[in-house]
Amino acid sequence: MRRDAAIYGLRRIAAALILILSVSITAFILARLAPGDETTADLLNGVDERIIAIKRERLGLNRPLIVQVADYSWGVLRLDLGLSARFEQPVGPLVLERGANTARLGFMALLLATALGIPLGIFTGSRPHTWIARMVSVFSLTALACPPLVAALGLLFLAVSIGGIASGPRDLLIPTLALGLPMAAMLERLQSQATRDALNAPDLQAAVARGIPPQRLIWVHAARQSLRPVLGVYGVVIGGVFSGSLAVEFATGWPGLGRLMYDAVQSGDVKLVAGCVFAGGVSLAVGNLIADALRAWVDPRVRGIA
Amino acid sequence: MTPSRILRLVLAATLVIAVIVFSRWSSSPPVVSDGTPRAGGKLVSSLRFEPKHFNRLMAADQAALLAAALTQATLLRTNPVTGELEPRLATSWSGSPDGLSWTFTLRNNVRFSDGAPFTSADVLFTFQALYDPAIASSLGGQLLIAGQPLQASAPDDHHVVVTFPAPFAPGLGMLDSLPILPKHKLQAAMAAGKFAEAWSAGSNPADMAGLGPFVLKEYVPAQTIRFARNPNFWLTDASGQKLPYLETLEIAIVPDQNAELLRLQSGDVDLLNDAARPEDQTMLRDAQAAGKLRLVQAGSSIDPSTFWFNLKAGSKALAEKPWLGDETFRRALSHAINRQAIVETVHLGAATVIYGPVTPGHGEWYTPDMGATPFDVARASALLKSIGLKDTDGDGVLNDTRNRPVQFSLLTQKGHTERERTSEMVAEQLRQVGITVDVVKLDNAGVRARYGSGDFETIYYGIRVSSPDPGNYLPFWLSSGPYHFWNPGQATPSTEWEGRFDRLMQQQSTTMDRAERKRLFVEAQQVLAEHVPAMWFAASQVTVPIGSHVGGATPSVMVPLVLWNAERLFVQGARR
Amino acid sequence: MRRTAAAIVLAIGLMALLAPWIAPYHPEQIFENRAYAPPMRIHVRDADGWHRPFVYRQKMVDRIGRVYVEDHSHRVPLRWLSNGHLLSVDADDAPLLFCGADALGRDLCSRLIFGARLSLGVALIGACGALLLGALLGAAAGTLGGRLDTVVTTIADFVLVLPVVYLVIVLRATRPLVIGPSEVFVLMSGLFACAAWPDVARGVRAIVSTERTRDYAVAARAAGAGPVRLIGHLLPAAYGFLRVQFVLLIPALLVAESSLSFVGFGFEGRTPSWGGLLKEGETLTAMYSAPWLLLPAAALFLVVLALQRIAGHTQIFMPEPLTQRARAVSLRPTNEYSGRVPSGPDAV
Repeated sequence: MRRDAAIYGLRRIAAALILILSVSITAFILARLAPGDETTADLLNGVDERIIAIKRERLGLNRPLIVQVADYSWGVLRLDLGLSARFEQPVGPLVLERGANTARLGFMALLLATALGIPLGIFTGSRPHTWIARMVSVFSLTALACPPLVAALGLLFLAVSIGGIASGPRDLLIPTLALGLPMAAMLERLQSQATRDALNAPDLQAAVARGIPPQRLIWVHAARQSLRPVLGVYGVVIGGVFSGSLAVEFATGWPGLGRLMYDAVQSGDVKLVAGCVFAGGVSLAVGNLIADALRAWVDPRVRGIA
Repeated sequence: MTPSRILRLVLAATLVIAVIVFSRWSSSPPVVSDGTPRAGGKLVSSLRFEPKHFNRLMAADQAALLAAALTQATLLRTNPVTGELEPRLATSWSGSPDGLSWTFTLRNNVRFSDGAPFTSADVLFTFQALYDPAIASSLGGQLLIAGQPLQASAPDDHHVVVTFPAPFAPGLGMLDSLPILPKHKLQAAMAAGKFAEAWSAGSNPADMAGLGPFVLKEYVPAQTIRFARNPNFWLTDASGQKLPYLETLEIAIVPDQNAELLRLQSGDVDLLNDAARPEDQTMLRDAQAAGKLRLVQAGSSIDPSTFWFNLKAGSKALAEKPWLGDETFRRALSHAINRQAIVETVHLGAATVIYGPVTPGHGEWYTPDMGATPFDVARASALLKSIGLKDTDGDGVLNDTRNRPVQFSLLTQKGHTERERTSEMVAEQLRQVGITVDVVKLDNAGVRARYGSGDFETIYYGIRVSSPDPGNYLPFWLSSGPYHFWNPGQATPSTEWEGRFDRLMQQQSTTMDRAERKRLFVEAQQVLAEHVPAMWFAASQVTVPIGSHVGGATPSVMVPLVLWNAERLFVQGARR
Repeated sequence: MRRTAAAIVLAIGLMALLAPWIAPYHPEQIFENRAYAPPMRIHVRDADGWHRPFVYRQKMVDRIGRVYVEDHSHRVPLRWLSNGHLLSVDADDAPLLFCGADALGRDLCSRLIFGARLSLGVALIGACGALLLGALLGAAAGTLGGRLDTVVTTIADFVLVLPVVYLVIVLRATRPLVIGPSEVFVLMSGLFACAAWPDVARGVRAIVSTERTRDYAVAARAAGAGPVRLIGHLLPAAYGFLRVQFVLLIPALLVAESSLSFVGFGFEGRTPSWGGLLKEGETLTAMYSAPWLLLPAAALFLVVLALQRIAGHTQIFMPEPLTQRARAVSLRPTNEYSGRVPSGPDAV
């Protein structure tokens, strides 16, 4: 069993590595194919064309695409992500630093989402027709239907109006709320449904017949049953962190990967874009592994299945 | 968790929030500056984009300009408010009889922020780096006269001679964009071929030194740039107090414009580096009424957005739509556009109607109603009819001689509300005369890429101008210039009037007599107005919001709006 | 409750179809001196007594302060079913600004109505496409496992990490400068489907692979059910998840539409879109002094609410009653267990 698990783990890691490599290189190719490059900004800034030509030469932009791709791929294999044309710094450390920031934010948001969403979901799922359950559901739907930038800006607005709340660019409170509340809402919806279904399942009906008190029924038995499938889709939730963080980082100024990527796209900094995708790939792979581990832990029958 | 428990919790939370709100409401009123400078204190401003580079020679973005204004000094400076040349590192200068050579006397006993003495060697080093082809400085590419670099030589430690390759009327004003770099800090990098990376965004601030009022203390990526007072700054105020007044200056990086405004409102940020948008004025006025900040009118913007046609010979646009190349057509468009409505709707009245690229912000160079094409729909329709464009199929859209609808695309910048809205208004107004305009909004990179490849018919875009003196941006005026956007980089002028225009602009840039220059410039503008290669609509009013406890601010219409004079800024009282 | 929700969706659909007659004005029509005009209030009573519903004209008092007052000099009666529109006012007293005006002085109500056509259409078709693709691929991967699973998962992960924005930019660059709304519609729905299916597939795959271990599935396999049949048995377990995903995808795609238009791939020119309207409301100035600009967000919320109720919740993770499963594997149908309490769609 141990050896099987080890081999399985190694296969997954290998697959993840191949994924990260291929997606970074594809991003590089796409970014190169896109119109404009690192010197496009200079074009309408009145910079002399000889200077632009020299810059293009320095960045190696005149080489055929194949050569540039090969050069870049070789670099990625050695974990050398190149130099960012925009920041004149190596891409690797830059992406690592910002990626760590986004990871921190994502972690806190997930924590909030889990701590808030799952218990609330169990609560509303166990008494679906009460007014309080309906109210919570409406709040959840609002959080889900609200565009992320509106939510982030609205929270910031609220914080500023009330005053005295830590709303600076380095404070985690507002970004965590902005990112975590919609996630909490999604988890609440899923958990609510799963709880309702668990409570209707035959084994729980049997437990009722056995006379187990309702609170224990809900919070122990049904919860255990329902957590299984919800944790199963947790991986999807983790995957949403990276994409959801862009709007939040923008509005609150949190120095994360989403902002870096946006900046890179705006300035046509191809190596930086590819580097951000690299980081995204790594985080997705890690998220996948965590999600699978969670699933395996919760449902032993799933272990060993791809 | 019974419902009653939850209810109690919710009530408790509401009570707590109510207490907090009430306490903030009844907090003390904000402090207002009384105008007496005092040393010390911290000022926070904001930027929307992260700095790429702290070396002005390598980058021209807003952050680099700001950093250069704060940490570096130039030989002399054109005061953006008065237009006068002020001595900075050079205390006086005299010109040779032919006006081509200027001798500068450098200020005595000036030291860099790290204590090293400032001499003419630093000036020479800066010029060398500026024009070094291995470095390929973008600033160097702009500081050329007739394609030739300026020559610099130093007879001794305290004098520098700068020679212009050709007569240049705007004269020394061109030198106020050149910061003097420390030779002792950058010499090694230049020799090793690493000048470009030397002062990049990731470099150690200890490697940097400058002659400006502030020193870069720390750059926290994507968050803040921290500057501290330069103890060796060489300027004192009238009463002998050493400048700058401020102890610390912080620039917060806030990418979203709305969030930036919020921070200004809450007092996190004391002043912005951009003019306030007209739609935000209601909120800002309320804040002004509450005494939190004041709105200062700095004047009329000097770089209005421009609507130009793709007039490059052989372009796809002209081949398919020859009427775009017809002056009468373009003039008809200009008559069909209600500029006043644009001023009232897009700028909410805070702008001036303009018909050319020169605005009231250009000061003495502005002639009101130059090239005016008054709003006259009947005239526009008549002009269109006169070149054979009529509505043959009764669908409300004009058709050309080949019976195709008169329709063209207008490319503009997505995310720039003024440009987007003006484009939409223009499209709507031209619809009234039977012309269909497809407004295409692309992001910045996309717009530039399409412009670069010539794949556009008309564009509504803008270019930042650094000086109100027209002689200073010949690459825009001259047909051979890369900046001559409706038909850039012409080897020889393709039309007679462009040739005439070229000659006039060349003349005005080499004539030293101010009055003669103005006359020539007026004539040149008339040529432009007659042939309508481009249209201008409105020059917005630049309104700068400044925190009420900040004193000494003299905002101008040129970037950086307020921090160009950072050495004289001071704050009153503790920050909120 | 389901009926109310269906009614709402039907009303929106009708509104979208009959937009030129329901909306009072052309969505691109700019009214002079009406920038940021607030919504008009409908009155039925004034000093002279009761009247049929009417409004007052708006007069701009402060341009940059955007202050409007009602002009009480005369009443402007509302006209029903005249001038070719559902609700309008006489041309002299135009405009009728039910929901206020946007930054340029265009009627927000008309823009919302016209915008619904394209935006909701794109979001709906894109979401359906994503669900279809994701469900099939995810179910196949989860049921059959092995090589297919690895391939599908890798492709799904690939699509998830790849910045779609670059694909869009490259795509946009290959198209001419002006692209017609129908082409944008098709390309955008296709893009949405291609970008959103991986999340759906991963969720379905996770659910299905858990289901696979259940007794009835094992039994079905043992009874010789082929792969397609097996997928057919297992997929229903994911229906609830799919329903939730559908409700979540619509607002996400509408917001994505506005991000796409940022890189030039949007509905340009004369066609408003909810994504674009949302973006206009996402500003401080809207929140602070022009809250009617946030109406698109409210409309979006209504749509999501209605869809949620229609999609309903019957089950996410628990299998259908043993009876139906048993039938699928050709065992004797039993009816002893019928005690499953239907948690119908009226439970929010």
